[in-house]
Amino acid sequence: MIRTNNLTKRFKDKTAVNSLNLTINKGELFSLLGVNGAGKTTTVKMLSTLITPTSGEIFIKGINTAENKAEIRKIINISPQETAIAPNLTVMENIEFMSGVYALPKSSDRIEKLINDFKLEEILKQKAKTLSGGWQRRLSIALSLINDPEILFLDEPTLGLDVLARRELWSVINGLKGKITVILTTHYMEEAEKLSDRVGIMSKGHLTHIGTPQELIEAAQAKSFEDAFVTLANGGEAL
Amino acid sequence: MRAVNFAKRNFKEIIRDPLSVIFAIALPLFLLFIFQQFNIPSDVYSIENFTPGIVIFSFAFITMFTATLVAKDRTTSLITRLCASPMGITDYILGYVIAVLPLVFIQNVLFFGAALLLGLKFGVNILLTILVSIPLSLLFIELGILLGCVTTDRSSAGVSSIIVQLVAFTSGMYFEADMMGGFFNTLCKLLPFSGCLDITKAVLNGTYEALTSSVLTVIIYTASITTLASILFKRKLESDTK
Repeated sequence: MIRTNNLTKRFKDKTAVNSLNLTINKGELFSLLGVNGAGKTTTVKMLSTLITPTSGEIFIKGINTAENKAEIRKIINISPQETAIAPNLTVMENIEFMSGVYALPKSSDRIEKLINDFKLEEILKQKAKTLSGGWQRRLSIALSLINDPEILFLDEPTLGLDVLARRELWSVINGLKGKITVILTTHYMEEAEKLSDRVGIMSKGHLTHIGTPQELIEAAQAKSFEDAFVTLANGGEAL
Repeated sequence: MRAVNFAKRNFKEIIRDPLSVIFAIALPLFLLFIFQQFNIPSDVYSIENFTPGIVIFSFAFITMFTATLVAKDRTTSLITRLCASPMGITDYILGYVIAVLPLVFIQNVLFFGAALLLGLKFGVNILLTILVSIPLSLLFIELGILLGCVTTDRSSAGVSSIIVQLVAFTSGMYFEADMMGGFFNTLCKLLPFSGCLDITKAVLNGTYEALTSSVLTVIIYTASITTLASILFKRKLESDTK
């Protein structure tokens, strides 16, 4: 579904992502982990066509993203790190606005399904800015599914949420597994372990390790996934 | 269609901040009313000349809240989401322009309604002036987009207030530029605001002589600012999403 070939991004004298070679399969939930500044968000932004790589190539469904951004943008969607909603619009107006962005009919089955799946019925007339953080994030993720994307990028989707809201969103994300390809970045090890089919660990712009959560635990000879991450992200040394 | 969809969202964002809309309408209306209460011995303040001045002055507020909307949008993640969508640069620019045009129309109708109550004679020229002011407002909307690209959501209103002052003092709504001479006179002629006022005055009063240079100045400014705003907006979108 996604393949990168020596993908590199430099900002002035800093290399944020260095020669990244990665393949993500259709329907897979792939998590990118790494400490702050490891290059996760830059990678997601390149894969989602938001920024142009300095060098290297990205192929999505065999299409080179540099050559046909418009086509790629019809089949992907993103839920950015911060909640991406129009705060002064109601929940329903947000949904209608984003469906207009993808030129969907106003009363499509897709909209009905999203409202039902994300349990938005009761808050449809509420202004988005008056929702709690958890509901705003839920709406933000719902909006990112408006075009029934084949690939969804979730950049730290549960950042700053309380435990209950986070668990609810996990259940939503879990429901997407197998149906669409999801690329997730997160700082929460439990989240990555519970949700991911495979995990890639990034450090200083390099993809250093890749595998299922269990494979990474074994590779690091660690007791838990968090210990494994600490060891692998630290160049093989446990802290 | 994507531009219209974006415009609907922008329009809702603008009207849901009623203070700025009220300010953009109430202040010019107040000025129109108050200056008609004095017998100022100058043609500039006659209702036929001062109403077009108020129209052009009110456009400076259009610049202000377009700039604020664009600058605010640039700081939100919503723009990141939109940048990964099929929306193109034309959709954004048209979306901002279309959203503001109904406000321009409402302003005009209210100002001319008030002017009629204050003694302006009704005629077809009023309707023509309203029609002509719509394309003239493009200059101010594009200027707002341009300022929204180079300012932040906090500084946009402050920087835009410079435009409000420039329009007030260089358009000729309060005094003829020829009265001042020197640098100020040159500044008035270099900027497009007096040209805008000359055009609206001419249409309202049916005196179309010697308008060529005003029309040319406004067209050149509008085209240049539109091009510059589009280029800058595209660049800012790319750098803001890094």
